[in-house]
Amino acid sequence: MAIALPPRRPRLVRTASHAGVHMRFGSTLVFVLPALLLFGVLILYPMLAALSYSFFGWQGTSRDDFVGFGNYITLLTREPYASELWGGFSHNILLFVGAFIFQNSLGLGIATLLHKRKRSKRFFQTIFALPYLVSPMVIGYLWSLMLSPLFGPVNAILRGVGLEGLALPWLGDPTLAIWVVVFVTAWQWLGFPILLYGAAIAGIPEEISEAVSLDGASAFQRFRYVTLPLLTPSIGIITVLTFIGSMEAMAIPFALGGSSGSPAGATDVMMLLFYRTAFESGNPNSVGISSALATVLFIFILAISVGITRVIRRAERKLY
Amino acid sequence: MKKRTLMLVAGLSASALALAGCAPGDAGNDAGGDSTTLKVWSWQAASSADWERIFDVYEAANPGVTVEFEGFQATEYNQLLSTGLAGRDGPDVAMIRAYGGAQGPIQAGQLAPIDDVVDGLDLFEPTVLQAAQGREDGVTYGVPFAYQTMHMFYNKDIFDANDLEEPKTWDEFIQLQDDLLAADITPMALGAREDWVLPMFHDLIGSARYGGSEFGAEVQAGTTDFTNPDYVASLALVQQMQQYFDPNVSAIAVADATLQFTAGQAAQWPGGSFDLKVFQDSAPDTEWGVYQVPPAPGSVLPAAVTPSYADGSFGINAASDKQEPATDLLNWMTTVEFGQLVGDELKQFSPLAGVKYSDPLMQEMNDLYLANPSPYLLLVDFRYGDPTGTAVLGPDIQAMFLGQKTPEQLAADLQAGISTWFTPGS
Repeated sequence: MAIALPPRRPRLVRTASHAGVHMRFGSTLVFVLPALLLFGVLILYPMLAALSYSFFGWQGTSRDDFVGFGNYITLLTREPYASELWGGFSHNILLFVGAFIFQNSLGLGIATLLHKRKRSKRFFQTIFALPYLVSPMVIGYLWSLMLSPLFGPVNAILRGVGLEGLALPWLGDPTLAIWVVVFVTAWQWLGFPILLYGAAIAGIPEEISEAVSLDGASAFQRFRYVTLPLLTPSIGIITVLTFIGSMEAMAIPFALGGSSGSPAGATDVMMLLFYRTAFESGNPNSVGISSALATVLFIFILAISVGITRVIRRAERKLY
Repeated sequence: MKKRTLMLVAGLSASALALAGCAPGDAGNDAGGDSTTLKVWSWQAASSADWERIFDVYEAANPGVTVEFEGFQATEYNQLLSTGLAGRDGPDVAMIRAYGGAQGPIQAGQLAPIDDVVDGLDLFEPTVLQAAQGREDGVTYGVPFAYQTMHMFYNKDIFDANDLEEPKTWDEFIQLQDDLLAADITPMALGAREDWVLPMFHDLIGSARYGGSEFGAEVQAGTTDFTNPDYVASLALVQQMQQYFDPNVSAIAVADATLQFTAGQAAQWPGGSFDLKVFQDSAPDTEWGVYQVPPAPGSVLPAAVTPSYADGSFGINAASDKQEPATDLLNWMTTVEFGQLVGDELKQFSPLAGVKYSDPLMQEMNDLYLANPSPYLLLVDFRYGDPTGTAVLGPDIQAMFLGQKTPEQLAADLQAGISTWFTPGS
């Protein structure tokens, strides 16, 4: 008589509560360790080091006494840091708002139009994504050459077609220069939302659109009431990434306005202030103050990014 | 999904902090091998071949010593050097930035004092040697290798074609600019989009007006400050000059302005001795001349002066285990032989007396400097804190060109900026 043996316990178990796979702690560690090591050495250690540096005074690169929040107080209250911090911060916000509008209007519009194209879709996606693949520093210098009032092709073309009045000193006028930085940043990033929105639109089941069409919805109504709500998660991700990118913007402002945000600080951003404080300052305590700035920047970006994520999640929950 | 997004957010946000954390490190002593190879670091990557030829001469005279020269990009050098001096694979001998730029490594104890081991430091002008001295302790940590002078360069071909001559008085200077304008030639090219050129331009035009080193000494002593009417008047001269630039001068980068000058689209270039090689390489068939801007009416100094500053020095890494061969190399750097090589190979001015320049224009520039030198005040004396004098005045002159600020406001801003860290008599 055959005895029914209890089934052998499988090493991997699917559980009801989680859709994921349960593994033993040791096995988990083996898989996670390489990434954890890299993260620890390249990200976590420098972060914690910078945090600790910000609480000390410095003489060049040798650590001095513990100063508590002294560097933070200096940064937020003493000139030139206080006014430059707010000036740079306001330009970072402009960069974010500009890029956000550009990407969620033009980016989303192009992605929607490309979705309907079968043959040329890939070609145009590649064309739009090309600037995104080039180093921002190179993009910045190319635009700086193109916008030169003496030898740049932009003004030459404008003059050539009779638009003399529009041949402006793009990077010399403070009211224009910051918008040039906003435009170039948004232009470079445009390919990213096109790809992401393209993929998200392609993921929307055809049946839904067809069902709405049968109910007599126009193309705009289909976009407004079907496509757009279903894109909310993508809009959220793009918004958060745009926010982080805008707050950490450095290469394009540097290439277009130098480390001091020329002209007259009109294109200054927080990372340029960080760069100047850390590497161009005559202050022996530059390590302490720049570390404090990096910490403030990190906490601000993290807090706002988490905030944006929460808002988007709430919007998503309302949809379903 | 939620967790993943939050992790992504946290990870990407971290990069700002990560960047900061990479800067300094713990000091460490490197006990290298037995090699007599001296590692020399520099920010003059473009002149690496010239520097190697200079050190070839030293190697030939000192068998067994190899100088391994490494040139880095000037914009990255400060960062690399602070890491190199604090870490294990740093240089034995390094180019050290001048004046305020030298204080970081000096205060960190990363440079070896050389007063007692290097002969010939007394051969250098005090304002030149000051570039390599600790502000707090007055100890010397480097041998200055070059200095820069500021001049008004001009295109001789344009001057000849328009029957124009070097001005000897302020009135002649203004007349020259007006004549050029009347001939439909842009009188001066300036890359005012890059603010670092503007305080230099101010000193070139206005040093004699405010009093050069005399004024500097008074500010140091606390008997006057930057709101002094003479200093304000010197800033007003800069404003007066705006009409002689391209109307879009605030949008022009230095590279564009250089092309404007070398291509013959502008007649003059207010700049530094470091520009000469660029002009000669870019337009080898054009003949260039230099003059000093004559003193404006009401000037404190009676004659034209040549603003100048030490470019940098060579110092010894305190953590290097090759102190003796490094000291020998620095001793060689105080000889006229080294100075002559700097003049011949690098086309830079050596601060050592007795050096002759084969290029007649360089010789003329050096003679102008020796006749009436004046320190580039904001660099020599006011780069020891944050904000530096040039960091305030550069963007402020841009604002003045844009009509946002007056000379009086510029002087007040400069005084306010400097006052955050500078105390007279300190």
